[in-house]
Amino acid sequence: MTIPGLIFKEIRHRKTNFALGLLAVMMAVALFISFFTAAKASNRETARLMLSLGFNLHIIPKDTNMNEFLLTGLPDKTMPEQYTEKLASQKKISYNHLMATLQKKITWRGLDVVLTGLAPEVSPPGRKMPPMKDPIERGNLYVGYRVAKALGLNESDVVEIKGTTFKVADCLAESGGTDDIRIQCNLRDAQEILDLPGQISEIRAVDCLCFAPTDDPASILRKEIGSLLPEAQVFHTRAIASARAKTRQMVRNLFAVIVPFVVIACGVWIGVLAIMNVRDRQQEIGIMRALGYGSGRITLLFLGKAIIIGLLGAIIGYFVGTVLALIFGPDIFELIPKTMIKPDLSLLLYCLVFAPVFAAISSFIPAMIAVTYDPAVTLREE
Amino acid sequence: MICLENVVKTYRTRRGDVKALNDINLRIEKGEFVVICGPSGCGKTTLLMTIAAMLHPTSGIVSVEANSLYAMSVKARAKFRAENIGFVFQMFHLVPYLNILENVLLAGGIVADNNKNTKALELIEQFGLGGRSYHKPAELSAGEKQRTAIARALFNNPKIILADEPTGNLDSDNATSVLGYLSEFHKAGGTVILATHGVEAKRYANLTINLHNGKIAKPDKS
Repeated sequence: MTIPGLIFKEIRHRKTNFALGLLAVMMAVALFISFFTAAKASNRETARLMLSLGFNLHIIPKDTNMNEFLLTGLPDKTMPEQYTEKLASQKKISYNHLMATLQKKITWRGLDVVLTGLAPEVSPPGRKMPPMKDPIERGNLYVGYRVAKALGLNESDVVEIKGTTFKVADCLAESGGTDDIRIQCNLRDAQEILDLPGQISEIRAVDCLCFAPTDDPASILRKEIGSLLPEAQVFHTRAIASARAKTRQMVRNLFAVIVPFVVIACGVWIGVLAIMNVRDRQQEIGIMRALGYGSGRITLLFLGKAIIIGLLGAIIGYFVGTVLALIFGPDIFELIPKTMIKPDLSLLLYCLVFAPVFAAISSFIPAMIAVTYDPAVTLREE
Repeated sequence: MICLENVVKTYRTRRGDVKALNDINLRIEKGEFVVICGPSGCGKTTLLMTIAAMLHPTSGIVSVEANSLYAMSVKARAKFRAENIGFVFQMFHLVPYLNILENVLLAGGIVADNNKNTKALELIEQFGLGGRSYHKPAELSAGEKQRTAIARALFNNPKIILADEPTGNLDSDNATSVLGYLSEFHKAGGTVILATHGVEAKRYANLTINLHNGKIAKPDKS
């Protein structure tokens, strides 16, 4: 008889004990999986929503006339372009998608427009992500809806701005905002046209989307950026995401209480079942000791069973948890579309490692009790 | 030869210490059939377990073939038990989820081996359980269970069989049959030490030890 053979035969013999142990692990795993799967979907959805809102972090020169800026949305001062690289070189920061811009109101062909030069996006080290806005090649011009309509411009037209020739790469769709009166080009082109080499008027960015509702992201970001660029000031807009973050935080707090409680309860449950199992098997342990089986083999019988319970509980719990996340996730984490909830196989790997360890730890004391049973006492019982 | 010198075993209870074995001095020669008699609670099982290297005496020396059992490590004692001693109990102590063949094989350790399988089947056949090899203990009669237990005890070719009330749960026919098997083992040169409060086993014994309150009252050599 091999140890696994003995374990499987005992499991078949005491099915109820095994099933109850399995249920305990499965419940603990399912709770974890349902929460993490739904929470991940919620994070993805929040990120998607935030990115669709565009840049929410604006860094402008400190001496900007704020009245003018709030009226026009255009800083009247400039700052060195190197500020972007300085911000992008930091590691532990709460922003990404940094894009340097130079914006000035100019009159072009008799029309007041905002000339906007955009640099390619840069990311801090190790946080490279797909850009939110495709870089503009030099010599290309993107024309806002109202400008194109007023000047009768079409895609592929060749135009000139203050002596610099551009090809109209695209005439943008109506946005209903200031973009409709913008003409956008590469930052270098804008710097040449405005004769402001190496200067920018604003750095746009996106925050890390990791703030809790209790945090004050504006002050955190001001502190981070202020220490790096004392010559700049920071504006942060954060509206829709905060409600979602609040829900997420609320559920997270709830689970922070529930999960440890359930895990401890399941651990105790497994331990009690293992103790009952040990009591049931006292005489069996006694006879095995009498037959010369050492403590190691007796321990393996119990811990091996716990590991099997953990492995099976992890697999079943993973699938149950994923189904629960699909059913209840959209209601618990408001606004998540069902399609955002996707099974995460990496979580299954974690479960396959941690659930058996958890079950083995819960069964450790009963296994030690089994090992220390005095066979002379158990075999004497009639 | 099994030798016990000044063996004392004291159990600590809430109501005070209980001396289960009180200064036992005993020599059992190789190939003897020893019956330990006495009323319930007189220390028979404690004496058997002490000889079996399973119950550390409070004081005294227990030796088999000049090896002091309790001077050995736990691991060495377990090995000694597996190689030298076979057990038969009143309650049979068969593992309920293993069939008869597997229960007998349990004595052979955890390594699967075809030779062991053949040997176990032969033993099962020898004890008249040929048709029952793949039955679970719950499907057997008391006599069949005890025969399985004896087959298991003999599997490792032990030098000594320790039997604790082996006939206590059997009818007289099965009891005679079990004592017969133990007698055969004895005749083949094995040592049998049997604890009982009955009298039938005395017929097979060449040494009877009467135990009273943990003390040997009177050894009868026949």
